[in-house]
Amino acid sequence: MNPVQQFRLEEKGVRFRNPYFFLRILLLAFFVFTPFMFRSFEVLDVVLKIIIFSALVASYDVILGYTGIVSLGHVLYFGIGCYSVGIFMGNLGWISYGHLALAFLIAIAVSGILSVLIGLFSLRIRAIFFAMVTLAFMEFAFILSSQLRSITGGDDGISFKLPGILAVDYSIGHFLGIELTGRILSYFLILLICMILFLFMLRFVHSPVGRVLQSIRDNEPRSIALGYRTYLFQVIASSFASCVAAVAGACFAIWVRYVSPDSSLSVSIMLDVLLMVIVGGMGTLYGGIFGAAFLMVTRAFLPKLQVLVGSILPGVPMAARLSERWLFYFGLLFIIIVYFFPKGIVGTVQEFFSKRRTS
Amino acid sequence: MAEVEPVDEPILKVERIHSLIGKHHVLQGVSFQVDPGKVTVLLGRNGAGKSTTLRTIMGLLSPSQGTIRFKEQAIHHMKPYEISRLGIGFVPEDRGIFNLLTVEENFRVAMHQENGKTRERMETVFHIFPDLKKFWKATAGNLSGGQKQMLAIARPLVNRNELLLIDEPSKGLAPIIIDHLIDSINKLKEFTVVILVEQNFYMASSLGSDFYLFDDGRTVHHGQMEELVQNEELKKKYLGISG
Repeated sequence: MNPVQQFRLEEKGVRFRNPYFFLRILLLAFFVFTPFMFRSFEVLDVVLKIIIFSALVASYDVILGYTGIVSLGHVLYFGIGCYSVGIFMGNLGWISYGHLALAFLIAIAVSGILSVLIGLFSLRIRAIFFAMVTLAFMEFAFILSSQLRSITGGDDGISFKLPGILAVDYSIGHFLGIELTGRILSYFLILLICMILFLFMLRFVHSPVGRVLQSIRDNEPRSIALGYRTYLFQVIASSFASCVAAVAGACFAIWVRYVSPDSSLSVSIMLDVLLMVIVGGMGTLYGGIFGAAFLMVTRAFLPKLQVLVGSILPGVPMAARLSERWLFYFGLLFIIIVYFFPKGIVGTVQEFFSKRRTS
Repeated sequence: MAEVEPVDEPILKVERIHSLIGKHHVLQGVSFQVDPGKVTVLLGRNGAGKSTTLRTIMGLLSPSQGTIRFKEQAIHHMKPYEISRLGIGFVPEDRGIFNLLTVEENFRVAMHQENGKTRERMETVFHIFPDLKKFWKATAGNLSGGQKQMLAIARPLVNRNELLLIDEPSKGLAPIIIDHLIDSINKLKEFTVVILVEQNFYMASSLGSDFYLFDDGRTVHHGQMEELVQNEELKKKYLGISG
């Protein structure tokens, strides 16, 4: 047995003793049992948005964290996914499983082709050029979606219904004390899709192509000298990530059953994605889950701080006034995380353990 | 100035190359050749054009004039990735380690393909650089300077590289580590032809068979390393070494 085979065997042996392995199982179990543990729709909504945005942020991390390309228009593909489902189910009124699947396929195809074209056109020159071109395309798509009223519903957007078991009024009975409605079934379908997306992304970044992408991020001239046409690898990464973002967008549309320019193509979503990557940690993939959780949970529950403080300290006007400023606390929390976790939550923890292993 | 004399079937032949970095005319007619089975050392003061020569051979800089032939094939017009695939490995001055990847991943990225032969070559790598086995799963950025240099030199060995260009491997390393590195490069001489750019004369003379002296972007002298070791005048004039 050669040394490489020996290392691989040892690695397989310790896989089930790795604490990260159990952390992943625990995380998955939490997502699976959320509908049974929390009856509130608000909690379910936050958790599912964490799941969808984890996939979207991880796809962005593939190009930013793993390949080192700065894109400012990644949400364009998310929007394509949203509008693909919205147009099929709402505008065209083709409410069937087949058409839903077709909407997914079209979203993937359009996003893949568009990102290859943008990549071939702009990645060959300068990385910053790519950032500007992607931003321009996203803005163009935003304007297009608000202008083409007959297709996209304009600024009002499109509300739609979903077929069969995904319809809101559908119910197949009770299980573990909860009613399995179309909402709950949609939750599990989206969880399954996002899990598959995550596994695909893990496979991608740990494949030989993924390793080359990381080498490009670390030292592009060196990767070229090792024999790689780096810009082709960058195009591959960009198109792969855009397809994942499109599927995440389609899932988002299934959950909210509504699409509009503001909810699917705006710059503010892009900024959220950037924040989530920074908080979670670039080049970690799992960082997306923590980044999305931080942003979604604080956004959903910090505004309720006033109610909480009011119930704990009734009749203290100063406390009530202080708790009004939830955005201030949000900013403070963000600064604390960036200060104590300079490489994001997952990135800093990984670096800590990596240094301990080496020393 | 000594003229470069042709030797039968050199593995690499560089003829009168000129290279520019921005507006600076750095290489002004560099000529030399590398024979199989030898370690050829390029020597000279800082800014003489040694590292630029390696970068030009590797295609990272395009020569404005002159020819470079690797095993009779002209490579001076080729892209770096094409040159690399012909079997030329490059260890740059800054080591070019992928700091965020593990030692294992650094090797896997370097592999043009992974097969039985690559795995055999990995055994050779572990034989020459046993420390790398110990840090196989460690993040490369966390290694010490000496370990990083060993990784940088070992990495091209996973491919069938017939020529290895090494740029200043002793830079920033402690003398004891340099001795260790000399032993390792001596071992790898069995597997590949080496062009070494080196400021440390002790290391250069311990490893080199042939030498070329560079001055102001030109090759000004060449010969056997033993001759240079004994020629105090040349050492003083071009390398600033006396005694």
